[in-house]
Amino acid sequence: MANFFQLVKNEQYKIYVRKSTWAMYIIASLIIIGMALMFSFSDITNEQYQNDEWKQTLQDENAEMTAEMENEEVFEGAYTSNIERNNYYLENDIQPASYDAWQLVMDNEFTLSLVSLFTIIVAAGIVANEFRWGTIKLLLIRPISRLKILLSKYVSVLLFALFTLLYVLAFSWIVGALLFGVNPIDSHIVISTMGNLEYVSVMDKIIEGYGFQLVTLLMMATLAFAISTIFRQSSLAIGVSIFLMFAGNGIIAFLSKYSWSKYILFANTDLQQYGNGTPLVENMTLGFSITVLAVYYVIFLLLSWSFFSKRDVAGQ
Amino acid sequence: MTEPAMELTDVKKTIGRKEVIKGLSFTIDKGEVFGFIGPNGAGKTTTIRMMVGLMNISEGDIRILGNSVKTDFKDAVREVGAIVENPEMYPFMSGWQNLLHYARMIPGVTKERVHEVVQLVGLEKPIKEKVKKYSLGMRQRLGIAQALLHKPSVLIFDEPTNGLDPAGIREIRQYIRSIATEENVAVIISSHLLLEIEQMCDRIGLIKNGELVAVQEVGDALTNQENVMQVQMEVSPLENAQAVLQSNHNIEAEVGDNKLMIRTERNNIPTIIQTLVQHDVLVYQVEITKTTLEDKFFDLIGENTIG
Repeated sequence: MANFFQLVKNEQYKIYVRKSTWAMYIIASLIIIGMALMFSFSDITNEQYQNDEWKQTLQDENAEMTAEMENEEVFEGAYTSNIERNNYYLENDIQPASYDAWQLVMDNEFTLSLVSLFTIIVAAGIVANEFRWGTIKLLLIRPISRLKILLSKYVSVLLFALFTLLYVLAFSWIVGALLFGVNPIDSHIVISTMGNLEYVSVMDKIIEGYGFQLVTLLMMATLAFAISTIFRQSSLAIGVSIFLMFAGNGIIAFLSKYSWSKYILFANTDLQQYGNGTPLVENMTLGFSITVLAVYYVIFLLLSWSFFSKRDVAGQ
Repeated sequence: MTEPAMELTDVKKTIGRKEVIKGLSFTIDKGEVFGFIGPNGAGKTTTIRMMVGLMNISEGDIRILGNSVKTDFKDAVREVGAIVENPEMYPFMSGWQNLLHYARMIPGVTKERVHEVVQLVGLEKPIKEKVKKYSLGMRQRLGIAQALLHKPSVLIFDEPTNGLDPAGIREIRQYIRSIATEENVAVIISSHLLLEIEQMCDRIGLIKNGELVAVQEVGDALTNQENVMQVQMEVSPLENAQAVLQSNHNIEAEVGDNKLMIRTERNNIPTIIQTLVQHDVLVYQVEITKTTLEDKFFDLIGENTIG
């Protein structure tokens, strides 16, 4: 076991010593700072409501927006949702919360796609690069089974995903805290989901938003890892995985008329479809999706293992 | 009777339908330097890859200190240090980091040991630099350092002097010899350079088309009294000497480049010199230019394929 820990340490070292990994973290940081600055210059900050006259402010805004919609044809219906939200605050006697670090974390949910992207790149390279560099030979002539080496690499990919996710969360929060301050952890906001206004906990939304995407991250990283081990080519693994990650839903929409399409991986990666709205393909249930995902997951790992452990390492 | 360091028994390798290695059997003893020579594509690297478990053995078995590479991989390979083909390292890491990386993979290799091997191969100065800045010779040394970390009983080097300057070659050669005798380590060296193998090895195995065509003791070839070798003599006058050799020893001597070339057994050389001197021929220099080993290899492989 101590031995396995050393292997994982080696793999982590090889990931983080490279400049390309640092570039990933810098890109993520810049995007988060950019988003936060953009938000700080918009009216999303709700500063105008942070006083005793917040009810009056909301009413004034509504009157202004209604007038604008009546006078100018181009604005017709443009502010309806804003007015509805303002009314919701007024009717339920909720003072709009100020924008803060937690909300920035929530709004930066999309950065998880970035984490997925980076994880795919790392997963695609972690085996293929050893072949490209020729170092695979010196790696496999140690008194360690190939299964253990492969496993240490897979665990390292998952650790990389975890560390990067934690970094993105923490960095968003810190930037948010510096620019907007921090609200109590149980703060609520009004958001509209599917046309209905709801008063929800920010923390719940963060967990939900990031949590469901983690499924996609895990599946795509494992797919990239499998392709990388089978074909020993990182570019192929990156290309296929990223294409499928972004085009997956489109492919399903195109094929959804066939009943077998529900067995395709991408029809099942988005588990949020069971929380709100309708499944991509009819007759699908949460249990079904989880089973399909588990089967794919096991197949990916078994394929990686059988190719990695059986095949001859021949010259380039 | 001691256990051999490495034992190959009827090792075969089939890739697709083609039999690449057609039943190799030989043993290598502790403290012995074994040279593996043959033209490109003969199966040297394939055999080495099977020895270290990078390739599966189709038939037969390889045992290292009695442990089968096939069934007892971990115990077998624990005793092996190797460079397979080029000494490839992580270019973005320093030499020191590379060594630590491999040290972590084998229990019991301490930092002190890593320092020790760095000193051994003389890389103290550039060890903290990134490997991508290393010359081929420095990489070769780092490769050797990596192979020595865990004090293996069997060392396998593929083309160990590749890319080294003459001083480096000399150093590595001496180092390989000393480690074999002092630490009682079996060393297996593959090369396509006959001269290099001859200078470093105790025994040479010649491989051709996946078969072991000959195994030859190196010491034998040079000192064996019965071996016929080519001798070059600087004598004067040439015609006299030629005639003397013809009449007294029945040797056909060729004249070339103002020198006399003959083929004879080693134990004949003193008498030939005596005869020449008795017939007032001035002998300036006598030199063995080709051994039977070389002849044998050229006969077996064809001159062009040995570089």
